[in-house]
Amino acid sequence: MLKLTNVSKIYRAAEVETLALNDISMEVRGGEFVAIMGPSGCGKSTLLNVLGLLDTPTSGGFEFFGQEVSGRSERELTALRCERIGFVFQSFNLIDDLTVAENVEVALLYRKVPAGERRRRVAEALANVGMGHRAKHRPQQLSGGQQQRVAVARALVSNPSLILADEPTGNLDTINGEAVMGMLTDAALSGVTVVMVTHSLAHAAAAQRTIKLLDGRVVSETLLAA
Amino acid sequence: MFGNYLAAALRNLQRNGLYATLTIMGLAVGFASAILIGLYLRHELTYDQFIPGHERVFLMSQTFVPHDKPKIEMDTTSARLAEDLKVAFPQIEYIARLGASGFPPVIRRGDFSISERLFASADPDFFKVMPMPAVAGDPASALDAPDSVVLTRTVARKFFGRDAPLGGVLLIDGQPFRVTAVIEDLPTNSHLDYEVFASSKAASSVLWKLYGAGYTSNSNLTYLRLKRGASAAEMNTGLQGFAEQHILPALRAINPDQKLDGFRMRLKPLTSIHLQPADGGDPKNGADIKVLAGIGIIGVLIVIVAAINFVTLMTARASRRAVEVGVRKALGAQRKDLIVQFMGEAMIYVAVALVLAVALAELLLPAVSAALQRKIAFNYLSDPQLLLVMLGVTLATALLAGLYPALVLSSFRPSSVLKGGPIAGAGGGGVRQALVVAQFAVLIALLLGALTIYRQTMFALRDATHINKNDVVMLFASPCTDSLRNAVKAVPGVRSAACASAAAVALGENDDMSFVGDRHALLEYSPVDFGFFEVYGIKPIAGRLPDAARPGDDGGKLGDTPPPILLNEAGVRELGFKSPQDAIGRLVTWHYKPSLSMDALATTVAAPARASEVIGVVPDFTFGSIRQKVRGGFYYVGAKNDMLSSVALNVRLDPLRSADTLRRIDTVWAKISGGLPLQQYFTDQFLLFRYIDNVIQGGFIAACALIAVSIACLGLFALSAYTAERRTKEIGIRKAMGATSSDILRLLLWQFAKPVLWANLLALPVAWLAMDSWLKGFAYHVELAPWTFAAAAGAGVVIAWGTVFVHALRVARARPVGALRYE
Repeated sequence: MLKLTNVSKIYRAAEVETLALNDISMEVRGGEFVAIMGPSGCGKSTLLNVLGLLDTPTSGGFEFFGQEVSGRSERELTALRCERIGFVFQSFNLIDDLTVAENVEVALLYRKVPAGERRRRVAEALANVGMGHRAKHRPQQLSGGQQQRVAVARALVSNPSLILADEPTGNLDTINGEAVMGMLTDAALSGVTVVMVTHSLAHAAAAQRTIKLLDGRVVSETLLAA
Repeated sequence: MFGNYLAAALRNLQRNGLYATLTIMGLAVGFASAILIGLYLRHELTYDQFIPGHERVFLMSQTFVPHDKPKIEMDTTSARLAEDLKVAFPQIEYIARLGASGFPPVIRRGDFSISERLFASADPDFFKVMPMPAVAGDPASALDAPDSVVLTRTVARKFFGRDAPLGGVLLIDGQPFRVTAVIEDLPTNSHLDYEVFASSKAASSVLWKLYGAGYTSNSNLTYLRLKRGASAAEMNTGLQGFAEQHILPALRAINPDQKLDGFRMRLKPLTSIHLQPADGGDPKNGADIKVLAGIGIIGVLIVIVAAINFVTLMTARASRRAVEVGVRKALGAQRKDLIVQFMGEAMIYVAVALVLAVALAELLLPAVSAALQRKIAFNYLSDPQLLLVMLGVTLATALLAGLYPALVLSSFRPSSVLKGGPIAGAGGGGVRQALVVAQFAVLIALLLGALTIYRQTMFALRDATHINKNDVVMLFASPCTDSLRNAVKAVPGVRSAACASAAAVALGENDDMSFVGDRHALLEYSPVDFGFFEVYGIKPIAGRLPDAARPGDDGGKLGDTPPPILLNEAGVRELGFKSPQDAIGRLVTWHYKPSLSMDALATTVAAPARASEVIGVVPDFTFGSIRQKVRGGFYYVGAKNDMLSSVALNVRLDPLRSADTLRRIDTVWAKISGGLPLQQYFTDQFLLFRYIDNVIQGGFIAACALIAVSIACLGLFALSAYTAERRTKEIGIRKAMGATSSDILRLLLWQFAKPVLWANLLALPVAWLAMDSWLKGFAYHVELAPWTFAAAAGAGVVIAWGTVFVHALRVARARPVGALRYE
């Protein structure tokens, strides 16, 4: 359902061209949990941004849930994102000015979900990540682990078909990291496709498949579980 | 969705308390100023619109084009005109005259008496031409009887202690008048400032005397109301033939030497009297439409300066909202969703500012009204037009000021901001710099404007009139006689004293077509007293001043023989003398009237042309406005038999004893006048009246400049706080590399000085043009001085530095280790 064909991404600064993705072809099936690994600067995040329709490839084809998306307008990409994707970031990226519940609600706002249903789903999503009692708090009042749980709740609340997680455990201690991994694994088990960038071999082990990148190229693929 | 936006907006506002407060305060002050300026402009632009059917009401205005001279537009006309017009033009529904003698009568009831310039003699139809709201009685018919008088509510209360003293009697110059109607006080945006209207049918009315002068005296106002559907343009055309038939023959008869290249009469719409002032028409100071436009522009500029604050602060702090934008976009927000969100936020800021502004304007209005000497109302709830304009401006500001920050914020790329990477577009630094430049340009231009107006006003009040008026009081008497003068002169502490005619102190005008050989000139002639020039420190340029020891100098004792005269410099030029010295001893022929009086006015017989010797030349001095050039004219010592020939006693005091001396003069006056109220002014205050509009404008523009400066400073203060914060890391690195605190301070101050320097380039030429054009409205004016430009430019830099210094210093002195740990 995600299919990259000879995708390259070049960043052009004033005098330097950086080849972030170099002729990558890969495929992610529906309901699969994929981990992407590699050293800093290998193109992991760029790949994730391309998969999340936050960035467009310089060349190559990208089939997103059966639709070719290269050359689509920003507007169409936003609509697709809205419909399909949930994001989890390393630095949580919660909006400081909103409460926990309101932060989760943001994911439903642009999907035109009616207010009553929004409240119900937000409560449910927060309960699922064990943050129901913190709904009225602001992000600054929470620990990092708690913030990331809220971020996961936000990613899940819209029932996405794809979750993209960029080092979701990178800023967390072991216990909180495990908890977040548990949530992502549960999501994958329930049929959601999960693509996660990580540095942690242990966490990558939770995925069904690990893709290793180096200098913008796929250097190996490891199938861990069937 | 909007609940979520609102929550984000309000909490963001709360979290950034300082910035939000500064932004909103700036906008609120800006809006409040704009509201006050708007109210003032509306007041000025709606003069006389309170008169029902004002579209059909006109004042007769006439224009003389003397040979070889600039034209003279007059709103005063002759007392004959109304009667003849009524016969000649059937389209006139009502026509009425209003006359005020140069010297106010004494109005008395019991022991209480006043003598102020609030009295006018009005024809019975006056309140039909200009219906005014009545408190009691029917003004339309109230002036039918010769002994009737109509008062305003304030005057009625002053004399009778109640609002409707119908039938009550007032003594006006000793004659009894019955109160037949009371009208509401006139609004301040009426060109009329009379409060007592006595019937012109009274035998004592000045209009009878003026009527006798036929078309040769132009001293009263003639108002008319056209019938419904009648065309003013048509009547204007007809007036040419009317003038040929009635007026020009009379002018030729009274003065065969009169040379007119043209003469024109027209209907001046009632509502444009204030905005097109001519000689005599507007008892108050007329308004200069260019100055009003300037004040309007300043109002707009202040709002722009405040809006710019909003834009710079919102975009400068955009990076703080970057994560929010990124998340919202990643979660599916379209760009337009975000634009709507941020525009909505702008709307909230602006709405809060409007509420504060309205409160601020209400709070300040009484003080502003008092300073402007106007009664300005601010009834926004009962005034849909005002409300609509206020809301419109608010909405427009929110849209314009909100749009750019919304575009910048909504343009962030989530892939970048969510990684904490550089924020594309958040720079907007170029636009922000340009806006700061624009702000400072406005500020510098206003500073320069205020400085120039101040210099010109001081010049007008101190130097331009060429008279030394410090420690001189003017005491009005009708007439000012030798015995009064001598009695006052004998008071200890009086250095000198001399009478002067109304014309000499610019309270009236006498014109004469005088000539030397075949060189004609329309000159002003002003009877004075011996010692008049000495009181005001005026020294002759050539020849000598009148001398009481020479009997031949005193026109009062020469019978029909014209006395010797003193020309002013303009008179010397107009009569074609080569130099002041050249004029001495020469003869000027004119139409001397030995008895210059209100009664003598009532003659249509031309005075014969006779010659006077020029004994001296004095500089061009004036008691009038220096907006006009001092006209050519001459002075002579004449008879002191009437208020026209002798009305003001000018008394130079010993400055050390003036309070005591004034008390003694009061005593002398009480003895001589038989209980008449004393009208007395220091001459400099008397002159201030001519420039009060200037003084008000100057103060107004200075206040506006101050407001613009404060608003711009608020913005710069917040911006510098933000910049300092944002550059903490950079500065930490610089310091780690060896930069000293003063290096950093210099760096930051230079950064903030740059936009001010650019602003100077923008502001100075524009201000130069504007002030040059303003100064050209004065016949005598200061020159634009380079130092004022340097001062305004310097002040801009100093203000900018003063504002940012604290932040710059704090950042410059911070320990680099703290700064580097910042991220």
